Amino acid sequence: MGNKLGLLVWGAVFGFTLSRTGASEYDLIHRMFTGEDLSLAFLMVTAIVVGAIGMRVLRSRGNRTVHGDLVFVKQKPLSPLNAFGGALFGVGWGLSGACPGTVLAQLGEGKLLAVCTVLGLLAGTYLYAALVERWKWLKA
Amino acid sequence: MTDVYRALFVERWPWWAGGVVIGLLVPLLYWLHNTALGASTGYGTLIKVVRPGTKLKWLNSATFADRWGWRLFFVGGIVLGAFIAGRLGGRPPVTAEMGLFSAYVDWPAALKGLFFFAGGGLLGLGARIAGGCTSGHSIHGIANLHLSSVVATVFFLAFGVLATWWVRMMLFGGGS
Repeated sequence: MGNKLGLLVWGAVFGFTLSRTGASEYDLIHRMFTGEDLSLAFLMVTAIVVGAIGMRVLRSRGNRTVHGDLVFVKQKPLSPLNAFGGALFGVGWGLSGACPGTVLAQLGEGKLLAVCTVLGLLAGTYLYAALVERWKWLKA
Repeated sequence: MTDVYRALFVERWPWWAGGVVIGLLVPLLYWLHNTALGASTGYGTLIKVVRPGTKLKWLNSATFADRWGWRLFFVGGIVLGAFIAGRLGGRPPVTAEMGLFSAYVDWPAALKGLFFFAGGGLLGLGARIAGGCTSGHSIHGIANLHLSSVVATVFFLAFGVLATWWVRMMLFGGGS
């Protein structure tokens, strides 16, 4: 239960931050992709750098969790699927002005069209589950 | 309203502040919960909540064994956090607005809904085939120097630019 409560809190921190920085604003995503306003791109680069430094610190201190377990970072395999799926995802990102995380923030903000994007995400995920049943190659 | 309140809850945060908070979540989630930052896998859990009896093998893998597990709480937390942000910022609780899209596109509501549903469908299918989304691949993955995440992110961004310019030219009439 502590685990669930903890992740509810960190999810809320994530959602709160996405909302407060404008990552859940259609216009900011649109203008990042047109190059008119790169603040969200800078946000992502900052997050990557801070995350990388944090992971280095974690590793330098024995790579252990607060409970003493070994930290396990699962690496997704490199395959052409990263590119193929990435292209589909990119089109969805450009059309909806959201990604799977920010659309949940849009939902919390009460944006009605985000309900449609979330339903689409559920349908797309379900479609993947159905396709991978037939075509094993879709699973990296 | 004090200046501090406005800066925290009303004015948009500067990009670097958001980057620091979200970046810190990557090591923090490993340190406290031994798990990777990511959003898209949570949609599989949501499907299991709605359709617990599904026979599809992928939805019955170990990842989704506990459909009331922490993934559901993390996904719910994102919604909750943004809801709190909206309330504290004094924004309307429900809105049909979607920025430039609402300003330029005057389709009937059902067609707009279908358009965003299609966008969401590509996000869901694409994220699963690519193995992650903006948080799991682009932030968590690159921060851990995973090559697959770099490849996925390059394609996320390249096709995001293409689709956005299509929207700009075909739906917004070139303006913004």
